[in-house]
Amino acid sequence: MRFFADSLIETWPFLQGWPPWLVYTLVMFAFGAVVLFGFVSLFAGIVTVVERRIAARMQFRIGPNRVGYQGCLQWLADGIKNFTKEDLTPAGASKMLYLFAPYLVFTGLFLTFVALPFGQALVISDLNVGIFYILAVSSFVTVGLVLAGWASNNKWALLGGIRSAAQIVSYEIPTGLAVLTVVLMSGTLSTQGIISSQGIWPWDWFASANPFAFIIFIIFFISTLAEGNRVPFDLPEAESELVAGYNVEYSGMRFVFFFFAEYANLFVMGALTAILFFGGWNSPFNWSTSLFGLFPQPLEVSGTLFFMTKALSFVVLIIWLRWTLPRLRVDQLMVVCWQYLTPIAFVCMLGTAFWMVGAHRWGALDYVKYPIFLFGVFLVLAMAARTVRNIRLVGDPVDLNPFQ
Amino acid sequence: MSAVAAYFRNIREATLTVFDGMSVSLSYLFRKPITVQYPDRTPQPILDMIPEGYRGILDVKTEICTACMACMRTCPVQVINIVVEKVGDPPKRMLTHFGINVAKCMFCGLCSESCPTGAIYHSKEFEGASSRFDDLVRFFVDQPVVPYKPPKTEKPEAGETPAATNGEPT
Amino acid sequence: MPEELTINGPDNMLLNMGPQHPSTHGVIRFVLETDGEVVAKATPVVGYLHRGVEKIATELTYSQFMPISDRLDYVASMCGNLAWCEAVERMAGIEVPRRAQFLRVIAAELNRISSHLVAVGSFCNDVGGVTPLVVALREREAINDILELLSGARLTYNYMRLGGVSRDMSDKCRQDTAAFLDHFPPALDEFNRLITYNKIFIKRLADIAVVTQEEAKAYGLNGPNLRGSGIRFDLRRNDPYSVYPELDFEIPVGEGFAGQVGDCYDRYMVRINEMYESVKIVRQCLEMMPDGELTSKVARVLKIKAGERYTRTESARGEMGIYIVSKGDKTPYRVRVRTSSYSALSIFEKLSPGLMIADLVAVIGSFDIVAPEIDR
Repeated sequence: MRFFADSLIETWPFLQGWPPWLVYTLVMFAFGAVVLFGFVSLFAGIVTVVERRIAARMQFRIGPNRVGYQGCLQWLADGIKNFTKEDLTPAGASKMLYLFAPYLVFTGLFLTFVALPFGQALVISDLNVGIFYILAVSSFVTVGLVLAGWASNNKWALLGGIRSAAQIVSYEIPTGLAVLTVVLMSGTLSTQGIISSQGIWPWDWFASANPFAFIIFIIFFISTLAEGNRVPFDLPEAESELVAGYNVEYSGMRFVFFFFAEYANLFVMGALTAILFFGGWNSPFNWSTSLFGLFPQPLEVSGTLFFMTKALSFVVLIIWLRWTLPRLRVDQLMVVCWQYLTPIAFVCMLGTAFWMVGAHRWGALDYVKYPIFLFGVFLVLAMAARTVRNIRLVGDPVDLNPFQ
Repeated sequence: MSAVAAYFRNIREATLTVFDGMSVSLSYLFRKPITVQYPDRTPQPILDMIPEGYRGILDVKTEICTACMACMRTCPVQVINIVVEKVGDPPKRMLTHFGINVAKCMFCGLCSESCPTGAIYHSKEFEGASSRFDDLVRFFVDQPVVPYKPPKTEKPEAGETPAATNGEPT
Repeated sequence: MPEELTINGPDNMLLNMGPQHPSTHGVIRFVLETDGEVVAKATPVVGYLHRGVEKIATELTYSQFMPISDRLDYVASMCGNLAWCEAVERMAGIEVPRRAQFLRVIAAELNRISSHLVAVGSFCNDVGGVTPLVVALREREAINDILELLSGARLTYNYMRLGGVSRDMSDKCRQDTAAFLDHFPPALDEFNRLITYNKIFIKRLADIAVVTQEEAKAYGLNGPNLRGSGIRFDLRRNDPYSVYPELDFEIPVGEGFAGQVGDCYDRYMVRINEMYESVKIVRQCLEMMPDGELTSKVARVLKIKAGERYTRTESARGEMGIYIVSKGDKTPYRVRVRTSSYSALSIFEKLSPGLMIADLVAVIGSFDIVAPEIDR
């Protein structure tokens, strides 16, 4: 960020009279605000539409396609609708906490964007404890959800809040172990450092570094699903059991805060997976643009494109999982965490450590990354083959046109 | 040992079945949607998409109504109201009122089956929504009408009555 | 304070589930006494959908009640039609033409498939999978189209008449039915691959709410719920009516597919397997169906000589028994309808202690409770 501020001072002379720390702070705030209100809200809105369209097509429907071209403005219409709705506070609710809870959830999620690197230079702050910071601030969300559930004076909401606390706190552990494994491999906690210690090509990414790393990637992905309250771990919401869980009493804009936080979280999950295991913004190209002279220095965009593609692929994968799987029960959720993910994560962390020692000793172990990469390709091809077979077996008409 | 085996079997089964399920839902993504974008983007006019014999809102052809009141008697929920009076000079048996309360009708089709001439029949109309309750009570007789007398020589056959073209076997 | 609303444990809380809850399948209310997530007691409270069908029946003639019999269980209207027809025809001694018999069986079995599709689909939705519900409803849509061609309506068909059926099957309807029968078994296989064999789904349902054979008999469960406990009892076989004795089909029972016999998964699998059997039945009926009359001669206003009779048929949810008392008038003196959802509801107080709220939702789904059938 600093070099960006420096170059701004060079281009716009009136800034030179100002104290540099003020310029730096202002630039940080401005960039943060742009990211928060421009990018995140827009992204969360658009992802809702995308999710609804994908879900619809997975269910032989079409989905929202009337507001704007192919329903691309549906999120705006929903937002306006929610703005105009009455903001209800249920009788007997703990009013202050009830009103405060959505902001806590919102804040906790949006703070994570501070350390998410969108490109080599595009990061609000490259903290030296970046990934640790992300894990820490995302725990705000739990507090918000529990508050929302408790303050609503509704037993269903209370159950949702309690479930959410139990779930997120438990799943912090496999997530933490997975992150620790990555830190072991990269030797740094900084998100930029983790990305730059991975290579450009798929076999240089941490997901294919060794067999344990591949398993830990799956564990990390599953645990982030649980931390983001997504199917099959959407127990805090569980619309068929708890009606809507912690947000059952919320209406209007406060509900939208929860909703946006959930979809922003979706992106954070995808982005974290891309950063930790899939090479982040590493790209084989070097396309720079100054965006029509807006930025004084040319900005490297191919990395950002690669990063967004990777993150959004995981977002789509999460959406795809959501519309496939049923939901676990509360005790099974804990069983999955404590009996499966946590021990396996420990084994994988130790395995990775030993592997690194071994690879230091015998360089041939490094070549294992190619078979792992090929295994990933095989998984994708197997999925494609099964999909084609499924379509053939039933013989339904195929329609590849996404715009109906 | 079996506990360990069960542990790994659980992992294996979960992975395989989730993979299988995902391939199914992915294949759903590529199939043709079955949504009919009623009312404005239907592939053909919606009335053409309704099959023969559909039981829509009741309609009456008063010119072939014999005023026998079979429909009124057979209706389980008293939807139909028919009044036959002696009108005029000399007094003549006339059909003066024929009302159907669409809001109460349950579209069972018993009335159209009991009609000897097919005067009361189910149209294909189904869009009965209205903001006024009064619109849902439909009247079919403005002026008193002389009841239809079926010709003595031939009994109404299946192929002739409107009800029969509506898919009703006698 | 009513007895059902008292709390027994010191740490227990009272939780009202319903009458408007997405998983109670209609307006039923469960009063739960829970210790956190664990249910200590679940008391069903019925009566929110009472429409007085039995009283209405005594005000209408025998043929006028036919459209009301649709509304006994609107997910499987044809079965209600068939139950009423069988009850009145056996009592009045009306012969039904063979073609009409086959048409009735085709309609009832197609309706059984569509009802089971709703059952398994909404069950999957209760457990958390939304896509299976929509997939099931897509198949049901095809059946709705067929039955619309056959009867003219999509939900409350009112297809059958005393002494026969109202309409013949058109060629288009026959072709559509044949096409559906070809399409449906592979589609159901695919549905199974999507959700039935899913490990999470199995884990959620296996060994949950096990109903032993003795309990099933004691609580008067019937239909798929009874067969889920491993008892091979189906009125189509054990008390045959219509042309069912001539047809070749299996009675699927719960075999402990994933856990103990009689758990939620068994009841679910019984329904899935019954759909395959219904496809077989419809196929045979289409082949065996002779030409001929659609209705026999029945007086327009039927009078049944004084007497009483209980007739039972196998509806999609199990036994639908109709008890008619006639005093020789054109209307019955008293009608009593026995439905299986009501008896299934009685076992909840026995099953619920120790279940979690999520399990209770699954159990409600596994018994395939339809609110209008409980309250009538």
